[in-house]
Amino acid sequence: MATMWELIGIWTAVFFTLAIYSFLYGENPWFRLAEHIYAGVSVGYAVAFNLDYLRDQWVNKWSLSGTLMLLYLIALFFGILWYARFSKQYFFAYRWTLAIIVGTGIGMALRTVIFTQFLNQIIAQARLSLWVSGDLLQSFSNTMIALMVPSVLLYFWFTGPARDRPPMSYIEKLARYTMMAGFGAAYGYTVLTRYSLFIGRSQFLLGITPNPPEARMAFYVIAAVILITLFAKDHLFKKS
Amino acid sequence: MSILDKMQRIDRRYIYLAAWIFVLFPLLNPLGLPVPIGRESRTWYNYIEAIPDDSVIIVSMDYGVSGMPELYPMTVATMHHLWDNCLTRNWKIVVLAFWNQGPLVFDTLLTQIDPAERYNVVYGEHWVELGWVPGSETGMAALATDMWGQTPRDYLEDRPLADLPIMADIRTAEDVDLVISIETGTPGLPEWLRQWNDPFGVPFIVGCIGVSVPGMAPYLASGQLSALMPGLTASGEYELLLNRPGLAVAGLDAVSMSHLLVVLLVLIGNVAYFASRGKEVR
Repeated sequence: MATMWELIGIWTAVFFTLAIYSFLYGENPWFRLAEHIYAGVSVGYAVAFNLDYLRDQWVNKWSLSGTLMLLYLIALFFGILWYARFSKQYFFAYRWTLAIIVGTGIGMALRTVIFTQFLNQIIAQARLSLWVSGDLLQSFSNTMIALMVPSVLLYFWFTGPARDRPPMSYIEKLARYTMMAGFGAAYGYTVLTRYSLFIGRSQFLLGITPNPPEARMAFYVIAAVILITLFAKDHLFKKS
Repeated sequence: MSILDKMQRIDRRYIYLAAWIFVLFPLLNPLGLPVPIGRESRTWYNYIEAIPDDSVIIVSMDYGVSGMPELYPMTVATMHHLWDNCLTRNWKIVVLAFWNQGPLVFDTLLTQIDPAERYNVVYGEHWVELGWVPGSETGMAALATDMWGQTPRDYLEDRPLADLPIMADIRTAEDVDLVISIETGTPGLPEWLRQWNDPFGVPFIVGCIGVSVPGMAPYLASGQLSALMPGLTASGEYELLLNRPGLAVAGLDAVSMSHLLVVLLVLIGNVAYFASRGKEVR
């Protein structure tokens, strides 16, 4: 049996879920309310977590010596400069922090990106065995990869009239089919994800274990209230 | 407006209504459609089964509450699998997150599973939660070289790492044998590859939302990624392999029905389009 506070939490969660889904009917005040509260809560949560982390770092590491304290304060100063972007006068200072973040990020990534996302992929492609003993499907798949990947690369290398003459005209066709297959797979997986999200929330709304069973009653009541108000709003607007 | 035009211009609200019906009906009345076990879920299961004894495993919660409907079931199933073998195989499990809502998701998991009660695992000795590590890719790189410096205290009990026996020999990426990242985006697979897999040779497996699969498949094919768990369907299969049906299995009928609806709508749209085009040509 849920306590009063748990019930309040469940009803609140159901309300926000349905208020967000009410956008499927059309733009409406329930959706607007939920959207603004979601944005505020998620930002508040992130700020609180960041402050908590800063405190932990200070107490456990950076307050232990004078040099570390100084370094921490310098880092904090550059962190605060992020907010200079909200001032026209000091906007330039925000760029210093941005430059440090972007420079560090690119430096970190470039260290290994050539190997992990470029050379290793080429090596894997070159090592692909076209025939996998006892696995016809894998052999077919590997053969298709060996043909289709180079065709797409060639498609983007040769542009203009070169594409209209053989053999590029044939390669271009294969490359197009390859890209269409890729987009199709991406679309299929996107549909899967969107429906999975919807199914997950539906399981919550219906109170399917391990979700709280009290959610189902809240779902029926709040859905009815939201639907009635949406229809009523439409009706009133039509009359006026 | 002819029937063919109407078929191409169905009011989106009717489509959403149909989506609700196709999803809610099988959830309320399970159809019991067959669930064949796919290659991805079997590879994931076998990979975890084959983790050597005495391994140090990082479980990274790289997603927020918005990714929960698709990723939470596989997180629960994976943690069951790990905790269940933790004592007999002497695995050390370190849970952390590069997404700031990751700890929030894991808090939810701990309200549903008490690992101490169910698996007799001791917090701080067999497993630990370090919480959120900020800084995205930079944070990942820093964690690889100095875990104690990045997360001086644990998340659940707020104790210094020196007080936790599990952390005594876990200080850098070189002490870690496997990373399990369950993720929805950035930071995620490319960052793990660049900062942990390539420089330190730490193998890793990834559970992800369906949208990410086409982008991750090349890394699986190249062997840089050891196993990939794609979305809710594979999670359901994994739950069945573990003999522990949960939320994912409960949702599989709805997945099938919702995809049936999408196929139907695509067919209706195409039939109407080609039929109306044929009329125009005539």
